[in-house]
Amino acid sequence: MRSDPINTLDDAITGEVIRNGVAVAVEEASVVVVRSAHSTFIQEGADACAGLLDAECRLVAESASTSLMHATSLRCSLPSLLEDVPLAAMDPGDVFALNDPYRGGIHANDILVFRPIFAEGRVAFVAGTLVHVADVGGIAAGGLAALATDTFSEGLLLPPVRLVRRGESVHDLYAIIGRNSRVPDKVLGDVEALVAGVNVINGRVEELLTRYGADELGRFVDASIEAAERRMRAELAQLPAGTYHGGFTIDGDGVEPDRTFDVRVAVTCADGGVHVDFAGTAAQARGAINSSRSQTLSGVVYGIRCFVDPTIPMNEGSLTPITVTLPAGSLVNPDPPAACGGRVVTVAAAVEAILEALAHARPDRATAASGLIHVYTISGAGPGAPWLNLFYEFGGIGARVGADGPDATGCFFLGGRSVIPQVEPIEAAYPLVVRAARLRPDSGGPGTWRGGLGVETVLELLEDATVTVRGDRMTLPPPGLDGGAPGGAGQFAVVRRDGHEQLLAPKQADVAIAAGEHLVVRTSGGGGLGVPERRDAESVFADVAAGRITAAAATQDYAVVFDGRGRLDRAATESLRRGRTDSVPSPRPR
Amino acid sequence: MSDAGWVVGVDIGGTFTDVVVAGPDGTLAIEKVPTTPEDPGIGVVDGVARALSHAAVPPAAVSRVVHGTTLATNVVLERRGGPVALITTDGFADLLRLGRQARVEDDRYDLLYTPEPPPVDATLTFEVAERVDARGAVLVPLTDDGVRGGVDRGVAGAPRGVAVCFLHSYANPGHERTVAAACQAALPDAFVVASCDVWPEIREYERAMTTVVCALVGPVMAGYLQALEQRLAAIGVRAPVEVMESSGGVMSAAAAAQRPVCTVESGGAAGVLAAGLIGRAIGAQDVISFDMGGTTAKTGIVTDGAPRLAHDFQVGGKGSFGATRAGTGVPVKTPVVDLAEVGAGGGSLAWLDAGGALRVGPRSAGAVPGPACYARGGREPTVTDANLVLGYLDPDGLAGGVTLSVSGATAALDTVGGPLGLDAGQAALAIHEIANANMAAAIRMVTVQRGIDPRDFTLVGFGGAGPLHVARLAAMFAIRTVVVPWGAGVASAIGLIGSDPTVEVVQTRLLALDATHDGTIRALFHELETRARVELGASEDPDVVVTRAVDVRYRGQAHELTVVVPADVLDADVATGLATTFYVEYERVNGIRSSAPAELVSARVRAVRPVSTPDGAPQRTEPDRRVTPVTERLVRFPDGDGPTVTPVIAWTSLPSGARVVGPALVAGSDTTVVVPPGCPAELDVGRNLVLSPEPTTFTAVR
Repeated sequence: MRSDPINTLDDAITGEVIRNGVAVAVEEASVVVVRSAHSTFIQEGADACAGLLDAECRLVAESASTSLMHATSLRCSLPSLLEDVPLAAMDPGDVFALNDPYRGGIHANDILVFRPIFAEGRVAFVAGTLVHVADVGGIAAGGLAALATDTFSEGLLLPPVRLVRRGESVHDLYAIIGRNSRVPDKVLGDVEALVAGVNVINGRVEELLTRYGADELGRFVDASIEAAERRMRAELAQLPAGTYHGGFTIDGDGVEPDRTFDVRVAVTCADGGVHVDFAGTAAQARGAINSSRSQTLSGVVYGIRCFVDPTIPMNEGSLTPITVTLPAGSLVNPDPPAACGGRVVTVAAAVEAILEALAHARPDRATAASGLIHVYTISGAGPGAPWLNLFYEFGGIGARVGADGPDATGCFFLGGRSVIPQVEPIEAAYPLVVRAARLRPDSGGPGTWRGGLGVETVLELLEDATVTVRGDRMTLPPPGLDGGAPGGAGQFAVVRRDGHEQLLAPKQADVAIAAGEHLVVRTSGGGGLGVPERRDAESVFADVAAGRITAAAATQDYAVVFDGRGRLDRAATESLRRGRTDSVPSPRPR
Repeated sequence: MSDAGWVVGVDIGGTFTDVVVAGPDGTLAIEKVPTTPEDPGIGVVDGVARALSHAAVPPAAVSRVVHGTTLATNVVLERRGGPVALITTDGFADLLRLGRQARVEDDRYDLLYTPEPPPVDATLTFEVAERVDARGAVLVPLTDDGVRGGVDRGVAGAPRGVAVCFLHSYANPGHERTVAAACQAALPDAFVVASCDVWPEIREYERAMTTVVCALVGPVMAGYLQALEQRLAAIGVRAPVEVMESSGGVMSAAAAAQRPVCTVESGGAAGVLAAGLIGRAIGAQDVISFDMGGTTAKTGIVTDGAPRLAHDFQVGGKGSFGATRAGTGVPVKTPVVDLAEVGAGGGSLAWLDAGGALRVGPRSAGAVPGPACYARGGREPTVTDANLVLGYLDPDGLAGGVTLSVSGATAALDTVGGPLGLDAGQAALAIHEIANANMAAAIRMVTVQRGIDPRDFTLVGFGGAGPLHVARLAAMFAIRTVVVPWGAGVASAIGLIGSDPTVEVVQTRLLALDATHDGTIRALFHELETRARVELGASEDPDVVVTRAVDVRYRGQAHELTVVVPADVLDADVATGLATTFYVEYERVNGIRSSAPAELVSARVRAVRPVSTPDGAPQRTEPDRRVTPVTERLVRFPDGDGPTVTPVIAWTSLPSGARVVGPALVAGSDTTVVVPPGCPAELDVGRNLVLSPEPTTFTAVR
């Protein structure tokens, strides 16, 4: 029989009303935070989070429509706050802020805000919000300095500090934050939104406390955390016990030439729990691709949740069965003052490594690797005012068992969104013309299941400008799986006035580009899965008709032959495929 | 009604087609017939014929037929219609495939997730060499060869519809119109639309999708409406058919066929419009609409008598708590009533999740097998089963003469109550309250999350199941006035007959909001008003009501806010006035005050030609009158000590001004109103039931 306390009429109703009440509170707070965000990228990508934690730093509830990049951010940083400011030292109406990646933060631009919620004179819960703020100084406008080599280059760092004392803003701190930003109004607006967010949660939870009392609310929070843990353990127990290995290699950090970086995991499933050991992962980078502990954990939680019932609530109970070993001084748990602004590359590599490892336990969920988000900045001095914009393109997604990989989209990336750079508003705001934004034929890794296509975007500058690029999976494109080929490698390039195409490094800062010259951004395609010659010939034909692969590649990569009128020649295809069978390796047993 | 004839309203639901016939004197006749999904027109004509016959109205006396239809939505969701070709600017053939995409909730962890393919096949997308910049200047001229190349390839695909969408056509429509005309000449039978004619607003992805939806649905809509007019003519109804559009106005059949994208939320709009009309009848300008049917509950907002609109809608969109997120479904930019929709209806199923918690919806028992109490094979408990066991519903009578099986409902409730240690009555109460909590989230979505305090609003509850829940929901939000309209079960159809012909037009024009642009802005509004009046066929009509709105943002910001333009702003310093209006609204919505430079992005004009002119004067109740209950039932209420003997009163027996104090049940022909203990309720002269619930000790809003 069930062990949780939900066994009376009131409990059944109360449990659901509390669940709904808390979920709506954090969702509403996330709406408040996201809608005030200063850029499309932050707003549409919902690079933010809102959550409720209890006095033991356990995650009670988290916003469902924000980026999963921040799944464990609040959870990891609250303990740092309590180290510096114990619960007993907090007063009603206090609000705290921090952004130090070595105290549970992510990178300088992600500010976390907490507000203790009091019941009967004691802190019962803590509300938290987070958003990627506009600018906190550092060597790059808007943050994400591509080639930073320490946190001091990345912007103002806040240890856990009081932002509001007993309902009164601490103006000194606001003044410091404002003075350290290139856009003080925007960053202070973001901070105000974060405070408004925790206030929303505080208000809603106080209502629940008034209605049910701290003990009763605590009992239901315990029950919901226990229920989530039970479900998580039951799901993990379904995975065959064993240790599974996975890895992914990163192009580089843009600072140390010719050094690649491995992320390695050993994932052990046993006794309804899962342990992820990053032993063998590269030492921390001099460049900015280091992933702080909280970011690595978000990647781990995401990767594992792809293998369990997705309806399990995101609370402490779903986190408890997951344990990790993060080698100190490594890429996934660096020592200060390593720079962390480019951590996306490493978090995404950790996710790929975990997906690869767990696919050994669940071969039906195997996926080839995907292309990545390619972030680049273009800025100019004017003739009028200086301008700057953050752009982003996405790579193709890796093939899955039984399904091709989707074409260039961000909706597989942890955030779950493709924030698209619509051409019209960009051209209306900046001195450039987008000449084309097209899927790249043949960039999807060939396979029985084909990788998704990357995209090529061509921008013509109308004024002299400077470009900074931050890409990865370009010198080492996303690998295929089980006989599938890697996706087509992406590139950044500048087409000079004389027509010469100059390739850039995946990570390169401050490249001058003159009016009339073109910046070309090509993202990598996803890896293929399974031997290409086993791909259904009709699907290859459909791909050619849709422009996803060229007729030449259809023959070369897939051994599919067309007649003189472009129709599928089945006989010739079969014969060619038979001829190639000897040289085709069988899929490797998993 | 100003038109001296009978007006027919027809609303097609998933299960029933509702028909309302309104006379010039305000007489109402109501008919409910089964929906005929394979050919909805059959049910419509059947319902109209019956309604006219029962009301003894000669078909020739009908002067308007107003129709709410989900046809456009269904065509998009089921990927019917087409094939459609898309012709776009060179370099952008993948415009739709590279568009916004989002995964929400559980989908985010699905490694096998595959985005829906766009509604235009890649093999039917064609590029034409041409280019215009954001100011409308031509960068690459359109040549005859270019036109011919695009048209020839487009024609080869033999499309039924063609959408033409070039970059920045809102700033310079010339190239689009040339290519569209050439396509139409080459394909005389195809439905050809240019994006500049459908919705000339900046952001190419949404504008292209809006245009594609038109091209997809247009031919289907035209065929359907033509057939419907012929069928109605065959039974003697020769009045033109009008179609409810998504923002609460109506459009002619011809306009609906030309711009069918404007009807994607036709049904939902009718409900909100009905709530607004009922609010007006009792003198309430600010109303929350709560429409609970068989599978979902929808909430919407009426402020100052007008439905609140949204300009970002996704057909088939998904999201959390009744909202939909950009990147899900098919986006359209035409205005739509702002709705939140949650999976909580009479047929919504109660279930135990893997953690053992009791949940309600979003899965529904549907029409087949239906709730367990219908005894049509359903074994899982629904909200209707809970409401029956609680005593809210009469086992002997439901619309259409269905009797309800209490034992069937009890057995179903035991399947979820048993593991929780609850008896059927307790389980029923829990399900009722959990459904209320889900619906409260939808009310919060359209109020609190939009910066609106629901306590100042009147809650109008309707739909088959709405009157059972509405008083309790109001109490949760400390809303003091609840109205359940006469004919609550068919209120959406009543909303149709109160609607007026409406046209909304938009134009993107990027301008700094400073005084040098006052003349340009006035000219822009004048041009838009002329365009709207022409489309409305009311160029000189002095009765046309024109309202204006602008999309404004701080310079450098990525997203704009739509703000209503106060009438006096146009007469004075218009740019400054618009900026000030924007600053105030921005602070209200985002809590941030700033007077940084603002820029205009788009202007909107909405023109309404009033034809329904309902009586605007509040209908007052008369002094108390005694009421005699028909019968009594044992009923359980939340927060009560157990079953309470509760009088059941026939709605038809209540004289206007009648006053009852709960606990009571007021039984209408198609719905029952739950009056909670201690709650006073009065019948107004329009036979609407007005309840005044006490707030619960705990309220959902501070």
